[in-house]
Amino acid sequence: MIFSAKAIGPEITSFRTKLAIAMMLVVSGVTAFGIYLGQGRVTANAKRDLRQTFQAELSGLDKLQQLCNATLAERCRILAEKPRIHAALEDNALDLLYPSAKDELRDLMDGSDSSDQRAVSLHARFCRFLDGTGVVLSPPNQKDVGELDAKTEAQLALKTLPDKQQVGYLTEDVDLADETVDEVIAVPIFSSETGDVISALVVGFKPFEVISKRAGIEVKSGIWVGGRLHMPSISKAAQTILGHEISTALSKADRTHTDFTVTVENVPQLLFYKRLNPDSLFPPAYEICVYSLADSISQQNRLRWQFGGAGALLLLGGFVASHFIALRFAKPVERLALDSERNRAQRRQAEAKLMSTSEKLKRSTRYSADASHQLKSPLTVLRAGLEALLAHEDFKPEIYEELSTLLHQTHRLSGIIEDLLLLARLDAGYLQLHSEPVNLSQLVEEWLDDLDALPDSPDVEIQKKVPPDLYVAGAKRYISLIVQNLLENARKYNRKGGRIRVAAQVEGSEIRLAIGNTGQPIARDAQEHIFERFRRAATGAAVSGHGLGLNLARELVRLHKGDLKLVRSADDWTEFELRLRAAQPVVERAS
Amino acid sequence: MRLSWIVSSNAICALLPISGFANATIEGRVELPPSHSAPVMAKRYEIVTHGGVLSTQPPLAVVYLEGSFSKPVTPSTKQIAQKNLAFVPPLLPIQAGTRIEFPNLDDTYHSIFSYSPAKRFDLGRYRPDERPIPSEVFDTPGLVTLHCDIHEHMRGLILVLNTPYFVVTNPDGRFRLSGLPSGRYVLKAWIDSTTTREKPVDLKNGKTSHLDFP
Repeated sequence: MIFSAKAIGPEITSFRTKLAIAMMLVVSGVTAFGIYLGQGRVTANAKRDLRQTFQAELSGLDKLQQLCNATLAERCRILAEKPRIHAALEDNALDLLYPSAKDELRDLMDGSDSSDQRAVSLHARFCRFLDGTGVVLSPPNQKDVGELDAKTEAQLALKTLPDKQQVGYLTEDVDLADETVDEVIAVPIFSSETGDVISALVVGFKPFEVISKRAGIEVKSGIWVGGRLHMPSISKAAQTILGHEISTALSKADRTHTDFTVTVENVPQLLFYKRLNPDSLFPPAYEICVYSLADSISQQNRLRWQFGGAGALLLLGGFVASHFIALRFAKPVERLALDSERNRAQRRQAEAKLMSTSEKLKRSTRYSADASHQLKSPLTVLRAGLEALLAHEDFKPEIYEELSTLLHQTHRLSGIIEDLLLLARLDAGYLQLHSEPVNLSQLVEEWLDDLDALPDSPDVEIQKKVPPDLYVAGAKRYISLIVQNLLENARKYNRKGGRIRVAAQVEGSEIRLAIGNTGQPIARDAQEHIFERFRRAATGAAVSGHGLGLNLARELVRLHKGDLKLVRSADDWTEFELRLRAAQPVVERAS
Repeated sequence: MRLSWIVSSNAICALLPISGFANATIEGRVELPPSHSAPVMAKRYEIVTHGGVLSTQPPLAVVYLEGSFSKPVTPSTKQIAQKNLAFVPPLLPIQAGTRIEFPNLDDTYHSIFSYSPAKRFDLGRYRPDERPIPSEVFDTPGLVTLHCDIHEHMRGLILVLNTPYFVVTNPDGRFRLSGLPSGRYVLKAWIDSTTTREKPVDLKNGKTSHLDFP
């Protein structure tokens, strides 16, 4: 089958390619999806880590600040309870206020020249008292309580005196170009006489500044107050820009703390902000923490490359695997295709053969039919001629005998032709059956009568056991022909003094008709061929027949969806069995 | 006991500089504000603040004769002791120019000071056996609030007056001033740091006038 393999070669290749492409698509899709998921996860994790770092940082800061504030508050409380300070405030000796608190304030301010930043935070950079209306009481000697310019000092004033500790942030000009932020805590001073708030002590500190590198992430902190950002670790210009962005963000969102992404000095940053002094009488201030995303982004890029590389490897692997798998998958398909191609070729050949056979058969059938027809006319002429000769009276008696024999032979020939014609029509499938109830009992009866009337009938006894009015479904003409055939055979192949037995009975939906006769049985090896055309079981030349009868009978029985078979042929007894479909007797006809 | 001592000593002090000068007398009653504490026998007097107002508790008033009188040639000396972590007496009216000694009768340090406009002073920390006894001269009329820097609850009041004629009422508000010069004057009653009542009087020699402060 080399030709078919060649023919389907391109198809197989195309199939293999399609399979490989489909598998590649699936692998690529899965890889891309995996990369997408992984990427998203990495990004989310990075952001979450940053947020956690910020929270940890902030909570640590908060704790430190709370501790610091508590310490300060306690110091201020002790300070405020000093009788001299009370006396100065209550006896309206405000000029004595700062001198009275000098020692305590010095203690509070002590260590301000320390280099340790955290330690600095526990000591005040400046202290001021507010009078009963919230206005700053100017100290007689600024050196004792920390120097402040008038502008900064004015920022310490409050509209009303607070009844609890307040935290605020204010900007202080260090020099013309630079400025700094101070954290201030205002502690109320209660009158020991009236219990009213008579003053407040405002203490200023350097705020914490967080610049830490944690887990490879650079963290910068700053304070946003009064629309301006103070973050010494970034440039002035960047501070201004970022300050505006934060102002915009704060005006939109009204939450205590949240985050957004900004770009500072061309580096993307994650910015967190949190209100430092909620519910304070001082202007709102926010803690700003900026995390550089550069590391995170480079990490993500690295990861992306890793993912990409892994994906490429996976794709390559997938390509190779899918190629091999496609090859393997294609093999059985190829075989299947080849097989089916071979099958198709075989079928085509078979069909061609069948066609030619059928053609031949048709031709032969037509030939038989034509031949039968062609034969019929001369035969008729011949028979008419012979009958005319027999009518003459002036021939010798031997001639009559001869003529009579010839006439008989023409009758026989006519029978053969009839049978051939019928068979030809059967073979060609032209025979159409008009089924109707046929009275089988009556047919058998008639044919047995005819059998008796035949001139050369041997001396046989007929045993009949047929119930009346057994109806079968079929065409009366053909049923009659079948019965005639069988009965004639039974008579023909009988011996002298033999017998014929005919028995019929109903078996379910069928009528069984058994016809048996005495006589020489059919040879065992000939029994299976008796229904073939032009076969004659018996060898006796004395028996007339042409070997078509049983074949024709069986063909007709099968046309009626019945069956005809040889039941037995041995020991001087041959018996055929005919089965035909039973039919309901026609009532009209019966009546 | 203590109360009678305060009243009698003050009366004697007040009379001394003017004896032989005139002999008019005035007596009456000052309507004192209700006491904030339940009446207890041998009640210890103290200075209290109520709504920022300093007064004695139980309430006492100082009645004095306003006018221009000559200062004594030799300034007198008086004492306000610190005993049982309190000023004794808690309220002392004096004539301007009087020196006051502050003896420490406790076993602990005291540090007496005042930021009052009438007199600012600071004695610093001193022990019970400090000699000489720390003292200050009070020249400016007005109310002086005494504090102790160590015992913040301690309060004392000194009422520095221009006149030598003054008396502290008894707990009922009754007072009696004698040896007063004759003439038309204004009699004042100091009730607390923000309340001073006044009434005109016409004093006649050898006679006793009666005046009530409602």
